[in-house]
Amino acid sequence: MIDRYRYSLVVCVQDEEIMTTNPDGTADEAERSLRLGRVRTAMTAAGLDALLAFAPAWRRENVRYFTDARVAGAASFALLTANDAEKVRAFSTGRTDLDAIISRGWVADAHPLSARSASSLTQALREARPARLGIAHYELLPEILMSQLIQALPGTEIVSASGLMDNVRLVKSDWEIARMRRAASVVDAGWAAFVDVLKPGLPEYAIVAAVEAAIKGRGAEDNFMLIASGGDEVRGMTAPTPRVLQAGDMVRTELTPQLDGYWLQICRSAVVGPASDAQRRSFDLFNEAVEAGIAAVHPGVTAHEVARAQNDVFRARGLGQYCTSQYTRVRGHGHGLHIDETPIIEGNETELPENAVFIIHPNTYTPIAGYHVLGDPVRVTRDGAEVLISTERKLFEGAAR
Amino acid sequence: MKRGLVLLDPAEIPADEWRGRVAAAQRELAASGTDVALVYGDVSRSDDIAYLTNLCVYWNEGILAVPAHGDPVFLTKLSPRVHPWMRLISTVTEIRSGRSFAELVATFLGPGGGTVGLVEAELWPAAVAAEIRLALTDREVRPLGALVRALRQVPSPAEIALLTRAAASLADTAAGAAAPDLTDGERVAVAERGLRGDGFLDVLADAARTGDGVASVRITAQYRYLWLHASRIAAAPSTGTWPDPLRQAIADAVTAAVPGATAADLDQAARPALDRLPAGATSEVRWVHHADMATNGEYPDYPSGLPIPAGSVVVVAIDVRFADGTHAAVAETVLAAADGPVCLTGQAGTVAAGGQIR
Repeated sequence: MIDRYRYSLVVCVQDEEIMTTNPDGTADEAERSLRLGRVRTAMTAAGLDALLAFAPAWRRENVRYFTDARVAGAASFALLTANDAEKVRAFSTGRTDLDAIISRGWVADAHPLSARSASSLTQALREARPARLGIAHYELLPEILMSQLIQALPGTEIVSASGLMDNVRLVKSDWEIARMRRAASVVDAGWAAFVDVLKPGLPEYAIVAAVEAAIKGRGAEDNFMLIASGGDEVRGMTAPTPRVLQAGDMVRTELTPQLDGYWLQICRSAVVGPASDAQRRSFDLFNEAVEAGIAAVHPGVTAHEVARAQNDVFRARGLGQYCTSQYTRVRGHGHGLHIDETPIIEGNETELPENAVFIIHPNTYTPIAGYHVLGDPVRVTRDGAEVLISTERKLFEGAAR
Repeated sequence: MKRGLVLLDPAEIPADEWRGRVAAAQRELAASGTDVALVYGDVSRSDDIAYLTNLCVYWNEGILAVPAHGDPVFLTKLSPRVHPWMRLISTVTEIRSGRSFAELVATFLGPGGGTVGLVEAELWPAAVAAEIRLALTDREVRPLGALVRALRQVPSPAEIALLTRAAASLADTAAGAAAPDLTDGERVAVAERGLRGDGFLDVLADAARTGDGVASVRITAQYRYLWLHASRIAAAPSTGTWPDPLRQAIADAVTAAVPGATAADLDQAARPALDRLPAGATSEVRWVHHADMATNGEYPDYPSGLPIPAGSVVVVAIDVRFADGTHAAVAETVLAAADGPVCLTGQAGTVAAGGQIR
């Protein structure tokens, strides 16, 4: 465990800088050690001799967990073996990734990789000779790479370690929470830019352009964002369309910037001009559901219980049908190095311990004012929940002309 | 990430052209004796599916089933709630959602024998391919080559028009992002605002900084389903010892990007200028087909002697690694026309004699 006094994390909001290292880099080292310890413990429990984290271009969270480096390759890996449990080796097809990994300092051993001839990786695996190898994102590993691993490791049992790494990443360290707080400031700025730009005549995709510029200018690495505009006919969100805003439209978004690896989401709706009574009633309903979800949070609460608390608000008003998959997906989801970690949905009995981070969002369609989007990311505290963003939870109203 | 404009506009690509693409793929299936081809895509690499249908896999994964006769059907893990939008922005009329690709494929095919081909099977997630093979024991499941990627190698006139329009936007935006005295974040912000404001679907921009403080801005961007790239050095002319030679090197490489040229030919053209880089700097001159830019050309096979196809649009790029481990990059998107290369993302004065500016 991190000695919090020795490795006190310095959270400095001045100049939008948050330091997560002591001047001698010790907090970084403590975080790295903490992670390796967690992974080793999980590997032992799973009977793994080696763990290989695979990162396709859209799921890089596990390689990031090991390297703390922003990689860009189409395929990258991090390898941890039980017989050399302090040493992580990295591999990437990205030309500049190796320097990015090495310069970050968490991994000292990084190798170029060719997808068609992954000899650097297979040689390292041959030397490790694992009896049982776990691959995180086994389910996404292309045949061209899987076949080379199988050929290099005759007799090795290869299993998925995706769930193992999901569990390892579930509880955030203080170091990670500090990063997510910084991401929260970018989330707030992104929403402010969203509201600022709204006006009749603006196409949806121009809203996205303004938001992207605002958050990227603040250092965001990426963003996941869905949007929808219109009246009570709106049933869900998609990528932006050419539709132009009209006075009275409700514009909904989930906006999820990634900063220093960590994703954090805000869900809000705003009206172009003054809100109607129906839009206000819709907001009140969804706000009550968010508050019910937040009130349910405590260490050890299950995802099911958080979802049920939100859904019960709808059920109490005879709107329970709108909590089903016909109208919506989840009542929230975990956050961290991946956008969409454990789903907050009825039936998911995953326990959410202290310092798990997730968004509570009861987003769905109702006949009141169409699809409504509202939600806040929270951290599970010792006795409840902490909302991580500063943006007020209200029905925003943008410019009418 | 794919969060920009997704648009199906018959004024850009007529319905006949969309139908012709599917028909061309179906002719390949007939020639190989394949009853149904399955094309896999995920959020990071789904251009084959987009080429055939304009579908945007904006999240998660999907499989396009292309029968030898009849219309393609999209099988996806995305919710049925997004089907109306998918139909709006694509040529697909039938979309099926489910939690398991094996079940989706088996249900779509129904009982009976026949041959199913996995397009570019080597790039499929092995686990997905395995579950489909397991579910289709009554059929022959075999790998197919890159038959859709092959169709995408030489853009049609409609695609050239789209690429040219997009390249103009990218050139202007890249110039703005490479202006002096911007922070790295501001450079990316300029790229996002300019390109997404012009209707780009995806923007992957970053800035690399060398030990002497010079930034390179690298922008890979997707317009509709077509990819472009430009990298620029953010330094005024005559600044420092290496930016001018590197600019000259990319201009020389672009000039050499004629049909049939290989990476070695481009390197040979750029080498005199690259030899003027500081001691210890290493450089790589390469070309990547625009159709492969979703993975920056890291998955397809690019043997050293591979020639640039006539009529194709390629990215010509030079990556430099300095002795201190920092990087600089220059790159352009180029049409390898029969009468000489056309630098689609070029700005006046950036391409040496022999190359054309869009």
